[in-house]
Amino acid sequence: MAQTEVKSDAVKPLTFISDMRQLTGDSTDIIYRYIELNDVSGWLIYVEGLADPRQVLTAIHEEPGLRDGLKSDASSLYDHLKHRTITEGKLQEEETLSAIAELLLSGYTVIFLDGMERALCIDTGSLKQRQVQEPASQSVVRGPREGFTESLRDNIALVRRRVKNAALRITSYKLGQETRTETAVMYLENKADPEVVAELQRRIKKMNLESVLESNSIEEMIQDQQYSPFPTVYNSERPDVIAAGVLEGRIAIFVDGTPFVLLVPALFMQFFQSSEDYNQRGDFGSLVRLLRYFCFAISLLTPSFYIAVTTFHQEMIPTNLLLSLIGQREGIPFPAFIEALIMEVTFEILREAGIRLPKSIGQSVSIVGTIVIGQAAVEAGFVSAAMVIVVSLTAISNFALPAFNMAISIRMLRFVIMALAASFGLYGMIIAMIMLALHLCQLQSLGVPYMTSFAPFNGWYQKDTLVRLTQPMVQRLKKKRDGA
Amino acid sequence: MIQKITSILLILSLLILPGCWSRKELNELAVIVALGVDKYDDGYMVTAQVINPTEIGLQRGSIGATPVIVYSAPGETIPDALQRILSQAPRQLYLSHLRVLVFGEELAREGLSDVLDYISRNQELRTDFYLLVANGSQASDVLKVLTPFEHIPANSLYSSILVSNKQWAATGRITLQQFVTELGREGANPVLSGVKIIGDKKVGRSIENLHKTEPDALLRHAGMAVFKKDKLVGWVDELMSKSVNYILNEVNTTVGHVRCPDPDDGIIGIRIVRASSDIKARLDKNGKPEFDVVYFIDADLEAVQCTIDLSKEESFRKIEQVIRKTMQSTTETSVQQIQQKFGSDVFGFGEALHRQHPKVWRKYRHQWGDVFPHVKVTIDAKVSLRRVGSIIQPLRREMKDP
Repeated sequence: MAQTEVKSDAVKPLTFISDMRQLTGDSTDIIYRYIELNDVSGWLIYVEGLADPRQVLTAIHEEPGLRDGLKSDASSLYDHLKHRTITEGKLQEEETLSAIAELLLSGYTVIFLDGMERALCIDTGSLKQRQVQEPASQSVVRGPREGFTESLRDNIALVRRRVKNAALRITSYKLGQETRTETAVMYLENKADPEVVAELQRRIKKMNLESVLESNSIEEMIQDQQYSPFPTVYNSERPDVIAAGVLEGRIAIFVDGTPFVLLVPALFMQFFQSSEDYNQRGDFGSLVRLLRYFCFAISLLTPSFYIAVTTFHQEMIPTNLLLSLIGQREGIPFPAFIEALIMEVTFEILREAGIRLPKSIGQSVSIVGTIVIGQAAVEAGFVSAAMVIVVSLTAISNFALPAFNMAISIRMLRFVIMALAASFGLYGMIIAMIMLALHLCQLQSLGVPYMTSFAPFNGWYQKDTLVRLTQPMVQRLKKKRDGA
Repeated sequence: MIQKITSILLILSLLILPGCWSRKELNELAVIVALGVDKYDDGYMVTAQVINPTEIGLQRGSIGATPVIVYSAPGETIPDALQRILSQAPRQLYLSHLRVLVFGEELAREGLSDVLDYISRNQELRTDFYLLVANGSQASDVLKVLTPFEHIPANSLYSSILVSNKQWAATGRITLQQFVTELGREGANPVLSGVKIIGDKKVGRSIENLHKTEPDALLRHAGMAVFKKDKLVGWVDELMSKSVNYILNEVNTTVGHVRCPDPDDGIIGIRIVRASSDIKARLDKNGKPEFDVVYFIDADLEAVQCTIDLSKEESFRKIEQVIRKTMQSTTETSVQQIQQKFGSDVFGFGEALHRQHPKVWRKYRHQWGDVFPHVKVTIDAKVSLRRVGSIIQPLRREMKDP
């Protein structure tokens, strides 16, 4: 069976063009241009919009050797074309229909000369592309303004530009049976752990995807644990972040068609780092990073803490605060948990609506949502003012996290902890915290423990975990470490 | 698969079904901020000052009612009485936020240990509220007076104890914890601050009391109640209270006045900015215990109403000497009066002896009550004047000089 397929797939000199037409189903964007070189007739095939054959055509047209009549057999003309005429750098010879079709569909121009059993594929890709722009997510005050685009090649080049190192390795894969999406894996040979690289390659090869339209399909396939609220693959649309990751020995995965590049292995603490930390002064960077961990705690625990304390542990509240809270809660018809749930869900709806709406309307929605609904709910006596403060604080802290996917996991976990706090008070919260800690500690990202540098503890990594030490400090420590 | 789903459902129902058993919403609580205990027949009359939530918030629902509601009920024991209060109040009583506990004078004279047993045993109560004795009245009357400024009377009492203890030194800031420890200690007796109603206590109960610049009824601190074991034996006045606090090392800042070095010239107002004391127990030649108390005092000049020349250093030395003498004489009189009148060692001299001469203490521990009134106490003070204020020479002096 396999053998006959290979046979039928091979380029047949007589029927190549009709085979090709059949394979692509006469799609109108595939252009077949008839050419004649001396006495040999041939075809130039390309996909409109993907490829730009103008340079190839000009070269053929202006090359005297193709018109002087000296060479009139197909194979010598073919060689002449291949070695002399074509000026493009990237050029491939293919002998099977499927391989030719794949190249054709990724922007190659195919030249077929009658009578030959192979075709010349020239890379003339010229897809209309978005310019390199400032990324919409993870924006910084100080730092490069470049963001990845949808073009794989540009993206790789953007990182290459920052890491001019011969040890930088790039391996390409075509993933997705239907989409044949170009994917590239990038790492530094001398920094990356070879075991991790091998593991990633194994996982990529094992992958059996139908289509890859965004890097998330790959992320879902290579992550260690499917059922975890925490992201174990980092993504960014900032070349400087990816370059820094590669320099640290991580592996970047580029997917054609999306500006979001993946970075593995991803550690818990990595989601609290922003490239801004390194672009600003060290002391400020450290403080801001500590603030983010604090925001993580606030965002995760504030509503549940409020529920637990006001419904179970009133004795913990300072008397004057309790009196003020009691005054506010007077006449509120719902228990604190339901009250919190109403506000949190309202906020989630507003947030979701804000993202989907056009930017100009989105702002007014958020104003209507936060001010009008919040204010009105308090005045109508549905919710207490303290609850509005708690929910807004939670939401704002959530936005302070630089990684969106980590922020999402906190948003989800928040509700679970709230439910536990509402049924068991602080006891329930402690149970939730213990379970969370256990889960985080057993989580892995490509075989690397997720909590690395906390658990397992690594003293050296502390230079850039909770705080960021400045370069001179790091160098001093390095000298000390290497000296000892 | 069905098994999995069932087990998840079971776990989820675990969350909902047995949970929440100790749940209480804030608006289901009657927060008691002050508790008063009086004698009533053979049992107690318990008075509870409960927050009226609609009146303390800044929002809706306020009908101009009083910020607190006072419930009273009698009972054989305190929980008994609280149970009866529950039948009057529409909400669950909540004791954790008690700020002050007031005892009626009558009850205090009969002994507080039975009351304190319940108070210390109850796990809902914190131990950081202040204890007070109603001077010459029932505790229930004290709790019924509405106070201006701090609208919750219990808070008013609480913060005025804090402030006056810090600034004035004539009140005692004694929490349950301290009082019970003091009771259990050998060779020391507790004191409690007293509180007195001045004015018309009937008017004090209504909101009218707050509608005037000069309220008809006010609560005032009134000296200190001296206890012997758990029984009140008498009251000491402001000056003596101060002396007690000096020896107990409880003075932060206070004000006072002394006569000028030239006694006919006038008086000088001073502010004590730092004060500490040290009790030394020693044995005289007969082996009897004697006590030396040394004060270390930093003072500022506040008001100079005489013609002393403050540009000379010796004037300061003179004033320091006067302060020292005054402190000595007032404290000595106070100690003697307490020794003779009450025979109650509120200063903790026995405790000092216990610490410094444990072997001697063993001889006296069972008869300290009899020995204390006759022990000799000497007072000394090391006074340093620190600041004279913004001007140097007294204005009165400048009036005299042409």
